[in-house]
Amino acid sequence: MSKNEKVDVVIVGSGAASSVYAALLAEAGKSVVMLEKGTARKLDDLYSSQTWARRLKWATPHMMEESKDSIWYNFNAGHGYGGAAIHHYAVWPRYHPEDMKELSLYGKGLDWPFEYDVLRPYYDQIQSDVGMSGDAEKEIWRPAGDPYPLPPVLQSNHGTVLAKGFAALDQPTSPIPMAILSQPYKGRDACIWDGWCDAGCPTGALANPLVVFIPRALKAGAMMKPDCHVTRVMTDTKGERATGVEYFDSKGERHEQHADVVVLCAFTIENPRILLNSATDKHAKGLANSSGTVGKYIMSHPAVTAFGMFDEDMQNYIGATGGQLLTQHRFPKEEGAFGSQQWEIALALKPNDLLGIAMSRADLFGNDLHRFMKEGSRGMSSMVAVIEDLPQAENRIELSDKKDKYGMPLALAKHSWHDETRKLFHETAKEGLEIIKAAGAKEAWHSPPGGQHIMGGTIMGHDPTNSVTNENAQCHDVPNLVMGGGGVFPTSSCVNSTYTIHAMAMKSAHHLTENWATIVK
Amino acid sequence: MALSRREFVKKGSLSLSFALAGSNILLSPAEAYAKEVPFTVLNAGEVLTLESVCEILLSGATESGVAHFVDHQLGVDPNDSLLVLKYFSFPPPYTDFYRPVLAALKELSQTMFSKNIQSLNEQQGREFIEAIRDKNPPDWKAPPAPLAYLALRNDTVDVVYGTPEGFKKLGVPYMEHILPPEGWS
Repeated sequence: MSKNEKVDVVIVGSGAASSVYAALLAEAGKSVVMLEKGTARKLDDLYSSQTWARRLKWATPHMMEESKDSIWYNFNAGHGYGGAAIHHYAVWPRYHPEDMKELSLYGKGLDWPFEYDVLRPYYDQIQSDVGMSGDAEKEIWRPAGDPYPLPPVLQSNHGTVLAKGFAALDQPTSPIPMAILSQPYKGRDACIWDGWCDAGCPTGALANPLVVFIPRALKAGAMMKPDCHVTRVMTDTKGERATGVEYFDSKGERHEQHADVVVLCAFTIENPRILLNSATDKHAKGLANSSGTVGKYIMSHPAVTAFGMFDEDMQNYIGATGGQLLTQHRFPKEEGAFGSQQWEIALALKPNDLLGIAMSRADLFGNDLHRFMKEGSRGMSSMVAVIEDLPQAENRIELSDKKDKYGMPLALAKHSWHDETRKLFHETAKEGLEIIKAAGAKEAWHSPPGGQHIMGGTIMGHDPTNSVTNENAQCHDVPNLVMGGGGVFPTSSCVNSTYTIHAMAMKSAHHLTENWATIVK
Repeated sequence: MALSRREFVKKGSLSLSFALAGSNILLSPAEAYAKEVPFTVLNAGEVLTLESVCEILLSGATESGVAHFVDHQLGVDPNDSLLVLKYFSFPPPYTDFYRPVLAALKELSQTMFSKNIQSLNEQQGREFIEAIRDKNPPDWKAPPAPLAYLALRNDTVDVVYGTPEGFKKLGVPYMEHILPPEGWS
């Protein structure tokens, strides 16, 4: 066993939240170590290939699942430096004010411990830091916020044709807000619209963690270590304060990293897994779990992709994987089945992989598949709907009786959609076909359900009896233990989570630096 | 071995490190097939079954090197694996998927037609694939047949259409912008 030199802050993970914490805390003069379970990676390790993109995902199982509706762990999680955000599509809409007051306004879901206006300045700061592209005025549904620093992303014929379908059904569209540079920005080159976002963007145009916040963290003196499999948060003898983390390296050697503050950003599934595995005589149900809430309220956005086949050249091979246009026309939560919904329109297509042309018609093979590939590579359209997943306590992460090679129990996920969510999914799938047909497609079809953006499991709240952390993501039971990532979100909205993960991490990191003496006393 | 951009594009983005004549060289699966690079994990019977099934799924699979691709990937650390099976929550090692699946497919062809898969005519090939696509056929003793269909179909599409050569066949630009570093596999 080795005991590393104590630091001010140990951060578990190297993804979206971790990188923001690391940058801001290191820039504030704190000594920071990031421990990443996966491998080391540089931007030029990101190859332009959907096949090679699979290196960005885990194969080693960390989670078992007994779900009626899968949360799609393998698709969403990330392996190595950059975490899940290394392969994210950079679609960055904001949460809406009503997402954060769902229980108060509608009697469903949960409330956040603060309102939108509290998070707004952090959204504004983040979009300036990373260089977001979009058109705030055309996003008529957009909550209050500064205009985007850059003009919108590219629109090809793909977006133009699909926009006509939305217009025919009186649904306005806007340029999609993206953390992708439409113009050079702060020393970074603009996107070349090659559609390889899913494979990890090596040019630095897409603001994955390796592009903006990890370089800032490293420049400010933070350290980042790969192959560190964190199994437990250690506490003092009274069980009142975190003292560091235990981890194993790839050779199986045990290490301890002591710190004044522990920030867990190990992904939505891993955070509760580590907390539950950190049980002691002082925390018999798991660390930070006096409420019994750790692991509960896991959410994953149901997603459905609607496809069309057109006679014209859609130029579907250029653009960004996350799309060209957005509509949140059906964001109001009480227009039909309860919950919000958005369409991301005109996704850049590649022939292979889960979101590729071939997989859109998984039933085809032989010459039928050859013909379809030829036709689809020019004429196919694609747009994906993201649907709100209502928080339910019974959707949860527990510890499995199966263990990994370090003796740590795997996570066990149990998740099913709320009845309202299921209804909304079916309404949305039907709507997608209507839009595609209205755009002039000769054929329209949709995918089976998918799952995007895993959230919950360590939710924030005012009340220590029914939440894990306070409004600054500090655990109620252990104030120098901080939870980063979408796990702290009490509701899922229908919007992609990475932007809000950044904003929330920035809010929490500012609180830590401004109240450091109190927190570490 | 450093490659120029032109060489990389020529070799295709699926270039992998194969052992040949005592040294490791970067080859695309199609090149590995053409050079008859020895297999390291799959045996000859498994290779024949894999190529025969994938050829029904999409003609050109064999020459595109689907068996070399799968064989190579079964020999790497699962977390570095490029197999689509990774997405489908099947726990590694992936030989525990491919071996029983290939054996079950071989047996199914005999059960259905009293023929090896490579001897099936077009109609029989179609019926054979349809028998595994949506549900397990009777007496199937392997991981779920629809999962086998999806995985093998994706492996085939990866090598036939997921490369610069594949994009060219479809008439769309590949637009690559990164080179593989030395020793990247």
